[in-house]
Amino acid sequence: MIEIKDVRKVFNWGRPNEFVAIDGVNLCLHSQSVTVLKGPSGSGKTTLLTLIACMARPTSGRITLMDREITSLPERFLTEIRRRTFGFMFQQFNLIKGLTALENVMLPAYPAGEKHAVLEKRAGELLGLFNLSEKSRAKVEWLSGGEAQRVAIARALINNPSIIIADEPTAHLDTKLSREFMEILLSLARDGKTILIASHDPIVYESDMVERVVEMRDGKIVGE
Amino acid sequence: MRVIEKHRNILDFTLSSLARRKGKNLSLVFVYTFVVFLIASVTFFTHSLKTEAEVILRDAPEMMVQRLVAGRHDLIPMSYMDTIRQIRGVQSVTSRLWGYYFDPTNGANYTLLVKPEEHSTSGTILVGRGVARSVRSKQTGTIPFKTYDGSYLFLRIKEVFTAESELANADLILISEADFKRLFAYPDGYATDLVLHVRNANELPTIATKITHLLPDTRPILREEIVRTYDAVFSWRGGLVIVVLLGVVLAFFILAWEKATGLSAEERREIGILKGLGWETTDVLFMKFWEGAVISLSAFFLGILCAYGHVFFTSSMLFEPALKGWSVIYPDFRLTPVISAYQISTLFFLTVLPYTVATIVPAWRAATVDPDTVMRA
Amino acid sequence: MLLHPAIISLVTGSLLVSGMLLYASYYGLKIIRKWNLLSGSEVQLGLERRTYLISTLMINAMAFQLLSLFLFIYTADRMAPLFVGAMCAAGTLKVNIWGYPTLLLKIINWLLAGIWLILNYTDNRGYDYPLIRKKYAALLFMAPLMLVETAAQAAYFLQMQPAVITSCCGTLFTSDAEGVTAGIVGLPKTPVEIAFYGGMFLTLAVGVIYCIKGKLGYPYALLSLFASVISAVALISFISLYFYELPTHHCPFCILQKEYGFVGYPLYFALLGGAVTGVGGAMIMPFRGRKSLAEVIPRIQRGLAVISVSCFALFSMIVVAGIALSNLRLR
Repeated sequence: MIEIKDVRKVFNWGRPNEFVAIDGVNLCLHSQSVTVLKGPSGSGKTTLLTLIACMARPTSGRITLMDREITSLPERFLTEIRRRTFGFMFQQFNLIKGLTALENVMLPAYPAGEKHAVLEKRAGELLGLFNLSEKSRAKVEWLSGGEAQRVAIARALINNPSIIIADEPTAHLDTKLSREFMEILLSLARDGKTILIASHDPIVYESDMVERVVEMRDGKIVGE
Repeated sequence: MRVIEKHRNILDFTLSSLARRKGKNLSLVFVYTFVVFLIASVTFFTHSLKTEAEVILRDAPEMMVQRLVAGRHDLIPMSYMDTIRQIRGVQSVTSRLWGYYFDPTNGANYTLLVKPEEHSTSGTILVGRGVARSVRSKQTGTIPFKTYDGSYLFLRIKEVFTAESELANADLILISEADFKRLFAYPDGYATDLVLHVRNANELPTIATKITHLLPDTRPILREEIVRTYDAVFSWRGGLVIVVLLGVVLAFFILAWEKATGLSAEERREIGILKGLGWETTDVLFMKFWEGAVISLSAFFLGILCAYGHVFFTSSMLFEPALKGWSVIYPDFRLTPVISAYQISTLFFLTVLPYTVATIVPAWRAATVDPDTVMRA
Repeated sequence: MLLHPAIISLVTGSLLVSGMLLYASYYGLKIIRKWNLLSGSEVQLGLERRTYLISTLMINAMAFQLLSLFLFIYTADRMAPLFVGAMCAAGTLKVNIWGYPTLLLKIINWLLAGIWLILNYTDNRGYDYPLIRKKYAALLFMAPLMLVETAAQAAYFLQMQPAVITSCCGTLFTSDAEGVTAGIVGLPKTPVEIAFYGGMFLTLAVGVIYCIKGKLGYPYALLSLFASVISAVALISFISLYFYELPTHHCPFCILQKEYGFVGYPLYFALLGGAVTGVGGAMIMPFRGRKSLAEVIPRIQRGLAVISVSCFALFSMIVVAGIALSNLRLR
């Protein structure tokens, strides 16, 4: 359902500091699978994630997402697709300080124009799912690491995405929290979500639930 | 309606985001308010002066005739009245006696006017409120006037009159003809100027031409000309002050530009997160629009309120001398509050519009942060 | 003369809008030359980002133009005492040759900005931005007009001399004066009345059909243009008389005054709104065939039609109510 053909991404093209981040990648990802992109930092796995997740456009090549060619779509339409299709978990939790946990979870849904009360109810239910009901009115800077992480997961799920993208999700977590996180991902995978993770953490790519590990180096796929 | 809900959500976020950066935004609103306050004070002040002048002149005669000697205003012989009366279209001609009197004890300048129809008995006067205040002689009720030869003439205040426009009548004293003539040794058979009424206002210019033709040493002045002059002078003064203030305004817009461009790392990170999470550039631009609208409108209305208080309750203490600038005596007058949609829209144009323009490009810069910056952090 | 506060603000406003349009045209030119949506190059991504800035600038320009149009009329009105014989805006605008051209340009530029934004809105809904070159070419045409307006306005204010004798609206809008406005006043009343009522009825009828069934798009577009023009003519020719309750006063500006309950504002807003949405709907008609717009355009057009039909309906209602409540009887 995600098809990547001859994709290249070049930064600062035609300038002395030109840098090829992705160099001719071909890849096909199936629905409801759990895939890990593995490789050292600077191998291009994060850039590949941004291309797949409609955050950036490749310099050349084609990406097809659920039978729709997305490479030549302007940002306006890419954003629409991104909001509907993808949920994101970042290396840092990237929660907005000063807002409550509930507001943070609701953020991705604001532009869709859903009724505020309905949205609030949905976000509350998600937080309840992760045992955060009492914390929903707390400012995020007062939450513990584990709680903040779960808020970030709840936020990724607010628009009910079919694909979850996680970029080095365990980089700032200890072993216990990392395992907890993988448990949660596992349950999401069971619910039928497609999961794509970029990570070089063994806890992630050696996990039983991972069906496929793609290894990258210098912007190229070097093994599976 | 999805669009309305969407804007409600975005506005909601904007307000909380503004509140999270209180210090920066409040200082911006403060400076903005001050700029609006300055410009609004100038326009309110000049505008109400203009209105005062209109009120004064509403009852003024349609045409006055003065005599000029060597290019200066001089006494006009009563005999001229007959010549003028004979011009077709002239309904009536009356003579007026008036002048100025400087009161050294108060340092004030009074306008003395003979109005036979309102005041006839000699020895008494009617005074405006400004005069009453400045002489503080309500107990004794008499004012000593120094006559042309140095002797004193004591006149009793019979009445203090009030008027619609305090500015106009503050320094006015109504006096009897006999007292007036005794005070200044005014020659008989002469008047200060002549006042005429005509049947048809459209004939005014024709009659004026005829008068200058028949009596070449006179100068007819039309009420319309006075109104026009006042209007031009006041507008011009207001405009002049605004031009001077443009420096301040410009400095403010540079500040606004800088504030808007100098996005803090925290804000940039936030916008990056929003875009990463699925906010479109347009959504962030909407957010910036609401931010600007909240800041502009609160500063605009606050500034206008302050200016209103300043001009109409404290008598524009900050720049009264610069704008009024005719006589120093008007002891303490309050302008009648006048405010119109026209002034408000002019003010809007002078303040909100340049601010908005100054923040468009910075807002756009902020909104076009790449969505993948969150991933690259 | 130039130091009147309102004049300063009008001149500043026009300079700002001109600056915005010039800036937009500069990037418009770049877009026309280098746009290639298939490329993911940084130049192309930069241009795509610019389109957001240009849209924002145009929205602001349009808002400012509308404000400036009414402020201009208002200012002219307020300055009437400065000119012998001028009793309202109609007289002040005549003090030199630049007054009426400036007013006309302000209206035209606002309408063009509105139509451009409709075009832009439509184009942004098509995933391949099919109209991108066309709309930026249109922008290149609009910028000079805005510059002409700014210059005409400056000339108007600079050349004002308070001593000039001008006619008041009483003489300007009576039939013995010359010019277009006199021509309108001189038109026989009955045909104008028939044209106005008939045209308006037809426009509304076709508009309603169009709103409900989505048919008769082109006829409606033409009718709405016609309705806007005939309404303006009718306003001067006979409608204004009922509002003033004077059989000879044809001034189109005095109805903006408090004495007449500011009835001019809803009338002109309705007329401007009806015209811009009516014509805007027609402007996007030829692009219905584009694949990426095939679904989008009918939806937008219907939305525009609803707005313009409501505007014309509002205009007609105010006019009918005004005539019915007026103490003036012309026959």
